[in-house]
Amino acid sequence: MKRKLVSIPLSVLLVSSFALAACADGGKSTPAATTGVVESPKATADNKPTAITIMAPLNTAQTPPDTIIKELEKLTNTKLTYQFFPADTYEEKLNTTFATGALPQVTYLKNQATFIQMKSAIRDGQFWEIGPLLKDFPNLSKLKSTTNDNTKVDGKLYTLYRGVDIARQGLIYRKDWADKLGLKPPATTEDLYAMMKAFTENDPDGNGKKDTIGLTDRNDLIYGSFKTVATWFGVPNNWGLKDGKLQPEFMFPEYVATMDYYKKLRDGGLINKDFAATSKTDQQKLFTNGTAGMYIGAMTDVSSLNKDLIKNVPTAVVDVHSMVAGPGGKFAAWALPGYANVVLFPKSATKTEAELKKILAYFDKMMTPEVANVANWGIKDANYNVIDNKAKKLDEEKWTREVKPFTDAAIGDEDTSGRYLGIPTIPAQGKADELKIANLKFAVQDPVAALDSKTNQEKGPQLQEVIKDATNKYIYGTIDKAGFDKAIEDWKSRGGSKIIEEYNAVYKK
Amino acid sequence: MQEVNAAQRVVARKQSSEMGRRIWKNKWIYVMLLPGVLYFLVFKYIPMYGLIISFQNYKPFKGISGSEWVGFEHFQRLFTEPDFLNILSNTLILFGMNLLFYFPVPILLALMLNEVKGDLFKKTFQTIVYLPHFMSWVIIVSISFVMLTMDGGIINDIIEYFGFEKINFLLAPEWFRPTYILQVIWREAGWGTIIYLAAIASIDPGLYEAARMDGAGRIRQMWHITLPAIRSVIIVLLILKIGDVLELGFEHVYLLLNSMNRNVAEIIDTYVYTAGLKQGQFSYSAAIGLFKSFIGLALVMIVNRIAKKMGEEGVY
Repeated sequence: MKRKLVSIPLSVLLVSSFALAACADGGKSTPAATTGVVESPKATADNKPTAITIMAPLNTAQTPPDTIIKELEKLTNTKLTYQFFPADTYEEKLNTTFATGALPQVTYLKNQATFIQMKSAIRDGQFWEIGPLLKDFPNLSKLKSTTNDNTKVDGKLYTLYRGVDIARQGLIYRKDWADKLGLKPPATTEDLYAMMKAFTENDPDGNGKKDTIGLTDRNDLIYGSFKTVATWFGVPNNWGLKDGKLQPEFMFPEYVATMDYYKKLRDGGLINKDFAATSKTDQQKLFTNGTAGMYIGAMTDVSSLNKDLIKNVPTAVVDVHSMVAGPGGKFAAWALPGYANVVLFPKSATKTEAELKKILAYFDKMMTPEVANVANWGIKDANYNVIDNKAKKLDEEKWTREVKPFTDAAIGDEDTSGRYLGIPTIPAQGKADELKIANLKFAVQDPVAALDSKTNQEKGPQLQEVIKDATNKYIYGTIDKAGFDKAIEDWKSRGGSKIIEEYNAVYKK
Repeated sequence: MQEVNAAQRVVARKQSSEMGRRIWKNKWIYVMLLPGVLYFLVFKYIPMYGLIISFQNYKPFKGISGSEWVGFEHFQRLFTEPDFLNILSNTLILFGMNLLFYFPVPILLALMLNEVKGDLFKKTFQTIVYLPHFMSWVIIVSISFVMLTMDGGIINDIIEYFGFEKINFLLAPEWFRPTYILQVIWREAGWGTIIYLAAIASIDPGLYEAARMDGAGRIRQMWHITLPAIRSVIIVLLILKIGDVLELGFEHVYLLLNSMNRNVAEIIDTYVYTAGLKQGQFSYSAAIGLFKSFIGLALVMIVNRIAKKMGEEGVY
């Protein structure tokens, strides 16, 4: 009798633990396929809200309250479950969730790089192809075809994109310093150099000490200042045509000219000396604490930089500028591929095309002006006002807390969703908005954005480090031109030659 | 023949019933053991099944059962990687420095703290030294950055004030290892003293009294009583530390790593991140992880054997 009493809970424990283990394991290999737990909305009447789970990166400090979600649910007749994860560690979260086959129905990636990494998984057929379905959705079919082309994998469209300004790169600088030293906005890269030199040596802050530098930069050759300036120098965007063949940017002489320019900046102390070890936060700090006079990057950052700068230096005035001509006298602007992020629809979480269509219907509604305004500006009168058909945020911090996460998860662009444009908070912001449109005329696109190379897929980022290291070493003077050429040979022998071959093979098609 | 078999069966039955009785007698102890066993089974042993993917081209959608087998391909790729030897030696050098420079510090700190009389001072000091442990590496590295940078970093300002040339701490390859190890000591040393202090606290005060009677000074007492008394703790912690041979703190090294110091700073963990995880190459990453575990296991076994030869307990 007694024996039985003990063994029952024991065996229950044992069995359940194995069941647990089996579940965990089942989840790893074929998620939901075996269990088949999927919402089946079609059984009931069509006005029942569609349940959708969404995973997205979070660029704010805390998860938002559900005021916006409630509003979106009401407008789109859905039951939304947003899973936000901090953007800093989002890629890890994404990869581990993916490896265990537990991605939700709607999966946001993080940026272009994350998307490129996902391509092989997309090719494996793990995500729904949505290209052929878009024509059934009046709003989704408004998405820009050029951007859609840039997000295609083997000519097929799997993703919806979140639009970003294509040519927003430029210069943010201290106008008060320039005025004091009698400098005009730089027209050429020579002028730019002269301005940095003056900012460094002519005591622009007037405190009698030599404690300022021209440019602040960080350990990022792409989103830092280097690529923007390289484009001004005439370097192609990632890849360019030379003798009718696609070649990587660093094989162009203009690339070396850009490195020489940076070497001169570094040797002369016109740039922060530790830039190769400086984080974005520290880079921006050098600008906002009044040490550096220039920041090269996304001009649209001007309002946030300005806000922090005038806290430290109340007399500071910032301005934006683009159109700096290179040595050849030509204008150029580095162009982004038109998307900041994309959304994927894993087959593991959505079993049938009918369900997929319900999810797409949600995104279709998201692109109506009414819903897009909620996602971008929040709730009228609580988060924003409308003045002259433009939106004005009421409280920046409240907006950031409540609405920004959804803005970062909205799809489409200002002109495709018909949402309100914003009213700039400072004049320079308005100027940046104009310049990014003016830049479009000189935009240099990446010719391989829509192409694929298997070797690049596997080794690209690792190989890119070889070039990144060599570029930095050249600028710091630890290697010379011969050393840089050797790094290129190294790049080639470790798979680079194959990447060139593969890109050229698909480019000719 | 049959009889023998029967006799054996009887003996076997007797033995098993003997064991059954013993288990039955102590049943509640076994029941208490159960959650622990289950924990290890479910969370430590069953997940090891996942190591299979290092011999496959793992595709999450196809799962372990459906992915293609590739044998040792990923290991081959790792061993033929041009940087492999460099990365491995960087890892081992950092580990060696950890043992050489970091490991003795908590012991010294504990010995010193033990000599401090006044309880308030002792407690305060102890709290102060172990507080950094609760700061994340990001914070530790950012604080160092602010202090060490050439653009207005306080340390370089001091160096310049005394008329010396500024030092490029953050980028120069020769400064990577000292920076690393100092940061490890800064963050972990105080925390590491806790176990040693606990071990010291359990020493019989009579021993000290006797030693004092015999005229032993403080240093003598430390050398002949305190140190021998915590010797086994030191050895156990050393073996455990060696088990983590290649766990050098991915985050820490990754934050310090840059283009200029990569040839001394790239370690297995950071390599797994850039070459494996960042590109979603799960199988390759798993293979590297497995290789790392093997080195750790081998080293622990060697050191454990040495410890036993020296008459110590070891960890198993």
